[in-house]
Amino acid sequence: MTGPKIYFTIPLFGGIPITQTTVSSFVVMVLLCIAGICLGRNLQKRPGRRQVLVEKGVTVLYDMVADTMGPHNLYWTPYVGALFLSSLFGTLIGMTGILRSATADLSTTLTWALMTSVLCWACGIRANGFFGWLKGFSEPIAVMLPMNIVSEIAQPISMAFRHFGNIAGGGVLTSLLYTALATLSAAVLGLVAQSVVAAVIVLVIGIALFAWGFKARKLMRKIFGVVFAVTGLLALAGLSGVPYLEVGIPGILSLYFDVFSGGVQALVFSLLTMVYIGNACLPPEPAGQ
Amino acid sequence: MSDFESFVGVNPWTALFTFCNMMITFLVLKHFLFGPVKKMIDDRQKEIDTMYADADAAKQQALALEQQYQARLSEVRQESDAMLRDATARAQKREQEIVDAARASARAMRDAAEADIEQEKKKAVNELKDEIGGIAMDIASRVVEREISEKDHRELIDEFIRNVGDAS
Repeated sequence: MTGPKIYFTIPLFGGIPITQTTVSSFVVMVLLCIAGICLGRNLQKRPGRRQVLVEKGVTVLYDMVADTMGPHNLYWTPYVGALFLSSLFGTLIGMTGILRSATADLSTTLTWALMTSVLCWACGIRANGFFGWLKGFSEPIAVMLPMNIVSEIAQPISMAFRHFGNIAGGGVLTSLLYTALATLSAAVLGLVAQSVVAAVIVLVIGIALFAWGFKARKLMRKIFGVVFAVTGLLALAGLSGVPYLEVGIPGILSLYFDVFSGGVQALVFSLLTMVYIGNACLPPEPAGQ
Repeated sequence: MSDFESFVGVNPWTALFTFCNMMITFLVLKHFLFGPVKKMIDDRQKEIDTMYADADAAKQQALALEQQYQARLSEVRQESDAMLRDATARAQKREQEIVDAARASARAMRDAAEADIEQEKKKAVNELKDEIGGIAMDIASRVVEREISEKDHRELIDEFIRNVGDAS
């Protein structure tokens, strides 16, 4: 298992590698910017269908930020939104097959996590002053100082590895599955192609199964019928190297690892960002206290 | 060349690019999407609030006006009632006055008439008395053919008249 491919290296500053992640994240940025500009244009007092949807989404985000961080932190919404969308589409872009998920690279997630941490520290410094913020590490008692520092360092690392691990792990599992299915196809084809009779039998069984499933409206029988039939055909044609079993099953897995897991991780990452920054930016104390 | 990054590793350049992309995405989305949309939503919310407030104010005003008119109306009604009552009372008083005046003048006329009648009566009685006294004296002188003293005479006549007056 390797990391992102390096397309080429710009011979500057000792070599700037342009990797799959760089390209993915650039593409995601361009797409998001274009989409944002298009969706934010031509806003009317009486919204059309597009604007209603856009407003709904923006309102959901603002409500989420207000719930998580409090109404005084509403100005963080654009950052959280940009983070969420970048994360989500940075994962989904891996489904194109051409580009690799930007979030499957630790560089990306660690950068975002560090940005969150830096923003938290900035908030803390702004609220309490630099020394007040430093002093906050020794609270509630001085003994807690090392633990507080460790937790402060662990926070971005855990965020980064959570996101990276989920997406990259999905990728690893998917590629493992592809390899396994390719091996399985080769094995099955090699077995069936040993004799023409076996291939014909398998083909006939497949067609019969498909017809039965067609009549009884059973999806699984149809699928198995097609698989058997294709196996027979490929065996008859002598194409034993075709990894035909890779069709279908990885798609379902990808639905989980890319769409579901990607959405969940994007949500988790932005939620954690909101929580951490919200904790650092406490509501302004009411006057007179 | 097709080198690969390590699977778990951080490339500072990639990190820098990611940071820049993130910042650009953030700024563009903030400037072109979140800002305008939020502003639009807030503006609309404000407008709706204003409209509702205006409607409420108008309703309050209408209610106040209605109450004012109602008060005015009842006031006017009371006034007209009072005027009517006043006029009726005045008319009744005037009627009473007229009737009283008429009654008084009638009584005065009757009293005057009664006094006249009384006087006429007395006058007539006296005339009659004189006449009858003359006649009686005449008759008596004729009957008696002698002169009766004036005093006896008068007594006789008076007695006679009293008898006549009692009889009449």
